[in-house]
This record gives sequence, structure tokens and C-alpha cells, in this order.
Amino acid sequence: MAKLKISGVSKAYGATVALSRGDLELQAGEVHVLIGSNGSGKSTLCKIVAGSVRPDKGEVLLDGKPVTMSGPRASKALGIGIFYQELSLAARRTVEENICLPDLPMKGPFVDRKTLSERAARYIALFDGVTGEGFSPDATVDILRADQRQLVEIMKTLASEASILIFDEPTSALDRAQVDRFFQILTRLKQEGRAIVFISHRMDEIFSIGDQVTVLRDGATIGTSRIADTNAQEIVRMMVGEEPAIAAQAQTSSAASGPVALRLANLSGAGFSDIGFEVRQGEILGLGGLHGQGQSSVLRALFGAGAVTSGDVSLEGASYRPHDPRAAIRAGLAYVSGDRGRDGVIQGRPILENVTPIHFLRNRLRLASPASLKRKATPAVEALKTKFASFAHPIGSLSGGNQQKIVIARWLIDRPKVLLLDDPTKGIDLSAKADLFALVRTLAAEGMAIVLYSSEDAELLSNSDRILVFNGGRITRELTGAERTRFNLYEAAYEAA
Amino acid sequence: MMVDAVATPPRRPGGIKRFIEAYPFLPALIIMLVLLALNGIWQPRSVSLVGITGLIKTYMALMLLAVAQTYVVYAGDIDLSAGAIVSLVNVVIVAVMASLGDSGVSVLAAMAIGLGAGLACGIVNGIVVAAFRLQAIVATFATSIFFTGLALWVMPVAGTPAPATFWRTYGGRILDVPFVFWAAALLAVILYLLARTRHALQLLAVGDDAQGAYQSGLPVTAIRIRGYAMCGVFAALAAFCITGDTASGDPLVGGKMTLYSIAAVVLGGTALAGGYGTVVGSVFGALIIGLINSLVYFVGTPSEWQNLVQGLAILVALVAGILIGRRARA
Repeated sequence: MAKLKISGVSKAYGATVALSRGDLELQAGEVHVLIGSNGSGKSTLCKIVAGSVRPDKGEVLLDGKPVTMSGPRASKALGIGIFYQELSLAARRTVEENICLPDLPMKGPFVDRKTLSERAARYIALFDGVTGEGFSPDATVDILRADQRQLVEIMKTLASEASILIFDEPTSALDRAQVDRFFQILTRLKQEGRAIVFISHRMDEIFSIGDQVTVLRDGATIGTSRIADTNAQEIVRMMVGEEPAIAAQAQTSSAASGPVALRLANLSGAGFSDIGFEVRQGEILGLGGLHGQGQSSVLRALFGAGAVTSGDVSLEGASYRPHDPRAAIRAGLAYVSGDRGRDGVIQGRPILENVTPIHFLRNRLRLASPASLKRKATPAVEALKTKFASFAHPIGSLSGGNQQKIVIARWLIDRPKVLLLDDPTKGIDLSAKADLFALVRTLAAEGMAIVLYSSEDAELLSNSDRILVFNGGRITRELTGAERTRFNLYEAAYEAA
Repeated sequence: MMVDAVATPPRRPGGIKRFIEAYPFLPALIIMLVLLALNGIWQPRSVSLVGITGLIKTYMALMLLAVAQTYVVYAGDIDLSAGAIVSLVNVVIVAVMASLGDSGVSVLAAMAIGLGAGLACGIVNGIVVAAFRLQAIVATFATSIFFTGLALWVMPVAGTPAPATFWRTYGGRILDVPFVFWAAALLAVILYLLARTRHALQLLAVGDDAQGAYQSGLPVTAIRIRGYAMCGVFAALAAFCITGDTASGDPLVGGKMTLYSIAAVVLGGTALAGGYGTVVGSVFGALIIGLINSLVYFVGTPSEWQNLVQGLAILVALVAGILIGRRARA
């Protein structure tokens, strides 16, 4: 008998159907992978199980008995613990308080601080050695890095000691050592007989930890298979519904021979030091290595959003001193961040306003008619196959992948000289990724210089002409031509780390 | 090794920053001590035992009301009716004591009823804001008018005197120590104990991220209602102090205290957005306001300029608090 059986659950928000028919059969002692492009309903399905979203229809059976999840409390009482993709941490509380918050140990009327610390320490100890600098039980969550926060959410989920554990993209910010440790823990929990749901966009993770995989597409469960009986291609085919359109094939290795667009010499700043490289027009330069080794810091610093302490930058031969993003934009730099919420999207505003701010800035526009703006925005948006109903709709009505396309489109109305991509596909679905990289390659072919940092090695390997591997804030290796292999990339990334 | 040079997280806290994070009321404490010194310079008698006793006697009510407000602000809410609750409890206990006569039993009965009234007002606020999901700022503005209306119904005009037992105790001494010092010590113990309860931590967690707290399985609605209930109880305690200080009933006595209580909370280093702060800071914040008022008086500001100078001084104190905090954090 299945530990948890979900059949035919659905959820709609107004006219938007988040989940039309969700089915899932979860066995005790297995890691069950949920996969599907963004907006396919994975998170909604998880939240229904966790009780934070109430289904409109459908049935949930726990150990064969029908249950209703009236809220997160009820679901917790039934032995269900969940890792929320968007995290559920209190930023000003400490790590140990957050881990124990759902179930505070009490001594009479007071919180038992000693037991609280001891209990939290047990879960912190699981990640001993990979938590990184600045992580301590009494550090408040707001001073932690993204990967460290994700670890705290994992610890909090583990502390629920629930028999069903749901992890909604728990590894998106983690580095490889952290993921490895997490997988060891999952393997042990599996042996204890827990039932685990695991969501990830990374194919290699799915195959290294999963027992079963259920694919969702457009809000419906497509099918379930044993991991051992399937392969990546088949899963992608189920996700996409047709032969996958990801042209993941290595780029022409003939490095572009155009003039140098961007040159860095001995650039140092917060998080990186002594960085030097050149990017030519028409070239895609990849920045690789483990997560958080200075790749993003360099890109942000170039765009004037991070501090530079010394070194020189030149842009098409002319000296350029990055100090603020407005100047960087006027100088011809473009920057697209994977952190859309913080760096990209203008929340609550229409799509048109989200496409045009750079156009306003670069042309020093004060007034413009919406009709002429739409005329200029349309080709930029179409180049990315963005799906949307009207320019007047708020940006929030789009899926994550389409929001990111809008953010990229704003740079295409007036072409920049250099495009800086800072993990641009974080959390967006495979088909949107494919559209995005097809465009990036077109832009390069048209002569734009592109610097790409991606936390996904496959993306980096298949899209860069050249890869610089970062380690501890420095460039430790350059991979060109046939050297661009996963083996070399891993080797260089792990070297001194 | 170079890894040390670059692998530092972007906002690694220094020693002083950690200290301020752990004790967010420190800037308020510093400002308070500076103001106390200034008071002493202009009026040496103000820092004598008698002077301090008078200060605490007058501002005990605001201290308690600031504490009351803090519990609501912890959860990211606000209570614009706190002052109206003070008025209502003030007239209720004076009316009860007036009808039961001047005796210890009468005083205790009145206080029990007063605490009940404060608690009831708090629960009403909590239900309106947390269960009915109305905007806290507007909903408690509405209930403040309602509570003031009740107070005016209980006692249409100010002036009914409180019995002597009540205000003589408040202004008197026990074992040769002024009563207000005992009250302050008791308050300190209560605040210390309350800070260690699950409820304080849950309020802060809700104020930090209500959605996250809900998803973590916390009973968010109940927690917010409890925050308002605590606010009501502490507002009732504030009303007792006001009654002891003014020795009479006045249906409008607390109205202007509401915004002072919010200012005290902010001066004390608590974030109005919720999730961060201390009640001790709010107590210091209330004393800062008290010390500013007395300093303006001691310096000899002409009466028509007093409001202007007070307002500016409170602004300066707010800015100073932010600057001290930021300097220490940099």
C-alpha cells in the first residue's frame, strides 16, 4: 500500500489553473522525484500535501485512509514535513531558533533554550564541514548567504522528523559538497523508511538520488516510471511533450576573432581579486566553478553594482571605470541576473513598463507614447518567443521563465556592446532555457560580446566558446576548445577548494 | 591564504554589530543617559532621588503603554487604540471605586475589572485585525473611536476623583522605598519572564514573515490575537498608573498617548515592520520622551515654543538612534 496516494487533485486561482489533475503515489522508503517545467504544478501539488494550499477537488489517502489537510498544522500533525522553495525562515531569528520554531521545546511556561540548542545542534551537525564561513547556531538568518539559508530550511524540515518529507527545489543554491552531503542524508532517511518527494531541475541530481520519477506537464501528471528504467532523454520528452528542442550541442570551437570588446586587468574588489580577461565581439565567455567563487561578484562589479578596489577595465579600447549601473548602461553594458525578484522584475507593473526602462535611460526619454514603445518592444519580445496576452498585464501574471524573457528583452531594444549574464536561467524551465540560449547564440553571431556565468555545468559547457574556472575569487584555469569537458571543469573547480 | 581574503561573506558581523543586534536598545540607553545628564546640568535636583521618583511616577504609564504597543509591533501590527483603552480603563476603575467606596477591597475589585476591560478591548482588536483581516492601522483607529465612545458613556465629563487609598499608595512608599520603584522592579521581572515565553518568539516570527510562520505550522491568527490581548492588559496597567498619578477619571486622558507610545517603540530600536526589537528599548524610549519634556521645561523654553522644541528634540533623538546604530554596524 502506498504511504501517500494523491488522485485527481486540482487547484485554480480565478481563471488560472495551477493544477488540473495531480496524481502521485508515494511509497515508504523511496525518493520520489517530481519533474516538470515551471508552471507545471509541482509546487502546487506539494503545497496541497503540506496543507498550505487547499485543493478544489481530489482525494488524498494517507496509509490508505482519506485525509483532509485543513492547514499546515494539520498536515504537520499527520507527519508531513516540507521544504519550501521560497523558504519559510524568520530573517531576524537565529539559525537554531528557526530550526526549532515549528515545535519549540518548553520548560513550564518558558522556552527551554538548552534543549532548543541541543536539538538544533543535532541537525546542524549533519552538515558539519559544508556550512561555510559565518554559519553558526546563533547567527541570524539575514546575515547568511543564499546557500546557507537553504541549508537552514533543510535542517528545519529534517527537524520535523516527519515520515513524509517533501523537498521543493532544496538544492538550487547549494554547492556540490553541500548537495553530496544532503544526498547522503536522504539516503539514510530512505533506509529508515521515510517517504521522500524531491524536486529539482538538475538532471544529474535526479538520477543520482531518485528511485521513481513522476513527470508533470501543464498542471497534470503525465506518468511515473522507475529511475532505473528510464533516461534523461525520455524524461525530457515526457516533460516537453514532443522531441526536446534543446540544442545542447557544443558551439563552434572557433573562437571569435573580432576586436576586443571588454578587457579586464588585475581587477580586485569584494569577493574577487586579480581578475584579468578579454572578451571579443561575437564571443561567449563562460565563467565556471563552484557556486559563489566570485563569478557573480565580478559581473556585478563590472555593472557598477558591486565595489571595485583596484584594477583597470576597458570597453572597446576606451577606459571604463565602473561605479554605478546607470553609467554602465549608458556605456553599453547589459546585466541580467538570475535573481529576478531582486534585480530584474519591476513588481506590480505592466509588461510594457518592464520591457522599456533601459530604452528610456539610454535615450534620455522623458515622455513617450505607448504605441511607439510597443512598436519597439514587440520585436525584442518576439525574439525570445515570450508568451503573454497583452503588454498591459502585470508582470506577475507571467511564469518565472517568461518574466525572465521580459527582463532580457529590455536590453534588446537598444543593443548593448557587452551582455553580462549572471546565472540567468536560475529556476526557469527547460524550454525557456532553450529559447534563451538560442537567442544568446544569435546575439553573439551578430557581434555582441557575452559573458555568461551559469551554475549549471551543462549549460556552460554547451554554450561557451571559452570557460574561465573561478576558485576562491580568482581565475584558476582557462578551458578552450576540446578542453571544455565536464571532467576538466570539475577538476578545476574542486582543485584548491 | 587568499581564500581567507575573498571568501568572507558579504555582511559578516563585527563584534559591535553583533552586540547591537543582540541588544537593539543600546542606542536608546545611550540617548537616555545623555538626556539624563543634560537634565542634571540644567536642574541638578532632577537627578536626585525625588526627581527620579517624580519622573518615573509621571512616565510609568507611558512606559507601560510603550511595552503594550511593542508586543503588537513585534508581529508587524499596530494598535492606534492603545490610548483609548487607557482612557476607558481609567474611567471604569474610577467609576467602580466611586460606587464601592474608599477601601482596599474596592480598589482590588476595580483593578480586576479594569484588567478585564483592557483584555477585552485587546481581544476585540485582535479579532478585528487578525481574524477579519482588516488593516491594523484603520481597524484600530475605528476601535479607538469606539472605546473612547464607551469611556464617554461611562463618564461623560472628567473630574470624578479617585479614592485616596488608590493614589496615596501610588505616590507613597513601601518599606521606605517609593511605590513606583517597586512597580518598576516588578515590571522588569515580568518583562524578563515574558521575553522567555514561546509567545514572544512566535510574535517575532510572525512579524518577520507571516507567510513563512503560517507555512511552518504556527497558528498565526491566534498569535496575533494574543499579541493584541497582551497589549490590552498592559494598557490597563498603564491606566492604573495614570489614575494613580492624576487621581481622577478623565474619558480622554489616554488619547494623545497612543502616538507617543509608537514613538517610544521606535526610539527603543524596535522595527515597525515587525520581527525585531525589545520591550526594554520601548521603556527607554518612553523615558527619552519624558526626559525631553522635562528638559524643555528646565531650559526655560517659553510655553508657546514648547511643542516646537519637543517635536524637534524627538526628531533629533530618532536620528541619533539611527546614527548610533548605523555607526556601530558599519
